[in-house]
Amino acid sequence: MEAERPAYRYGMVDVRPGYIVVEHEIHTQAMRAYFSPDPVAPIEEYREGKGIWKHSATAQSVRFSIRDIGTGEVTPFDELLGLAFYGSCPKESRVWEIGDLAQEHKVSIYVAVTTEGAAGNPSTLPAAKLRVLNRYFNERVADRAKKILILPDHFGLYREFSHGHLMVDLGLTAME
Amino acid sequence: MNVKDLVEKLQLKALNAMADRPVTGVYISDMVSDVIANAKPGNVLVTVQVHNNVIAAANLVDVAAIILTRGRRPADDMVALAEKAGIPVLLTDLNSWQVASMLFEAGLR
Repeated sequence: MEAERPAYRYGMVDVRPGYIVVEHEIHTQAMRAYFSPDPVAPIEEYREGKGIWKHSATAQSVRFSIRDIGTGEVTPFDELLGLAFYGSCPKESRVWEIGDLAQEHKVSIYVAVTTEGAAGNPSTLPAAKLRVLNRYFNERVADRAKKILILPDHFGLYREFSHGHLMVDLGLTAME
Repeated sequence: MNVKDLVEKLQLKALNAMADRPVTGVYISDMVSDVIANAKPGNVLVTVQVHNNVIAAANLVDVAAIILTRGRRPADDMVALAEKAGIPVLLTDLNSWQVASMLFEAGLR
């Protein structure tokens, strides 16, 4: 029988399935990733200005918002591409080094990786949204000594996204 | 019911040190983002996925244990990561449906 759950301040709402689509520009080899809510992942090549963008990879994912149950305020996370766990990053990376140190003290480091900003570079998740995300996950952790710490992407992990290091479902699509 | 009770009832093989904590329910999924969105704290996660990202998701939602079905064996890296995160990784040759049936019979929902 399922145990009675404690009352939480935050709840995940508006969960939408979709795809993380990674694509590249065929001349410059520039890469970018975005979330597609379409029932079937888009794979068509298309023109944008002088560029021609071609599909590189697709991974199943979800998009969600978090609701403050007390106030009713809903925080959307439409710009969030994924949460990268330090342990899923290369061992020679700064994230792994910091994460491994923190994990010894039961602090699990994740990095919030976002979609591309207006200038073509990824924008970090605003501090207010990061706080909501951290509160949502931490209030569910049973072990009081354990903490989840989701950091902004000051590590440039957005670039790694195109190579499948992030916490999306690339592992599933790569299975036999 | 605790994790150790499950190990005994289903004759699971534990790959790392076990934090014996209560199991609040079951979630079955092979999709990492689905686990993040829908698994509940204290759930036992039943999956065939052996990618490190499964540990990432399980740790984020604070699952009680992961049961890898159909004889799937994780790499040493994944087991080491689970050990650091304090998440028991349990193996069985049964498929996910068979494990789900046994968990249901054991009283988990």
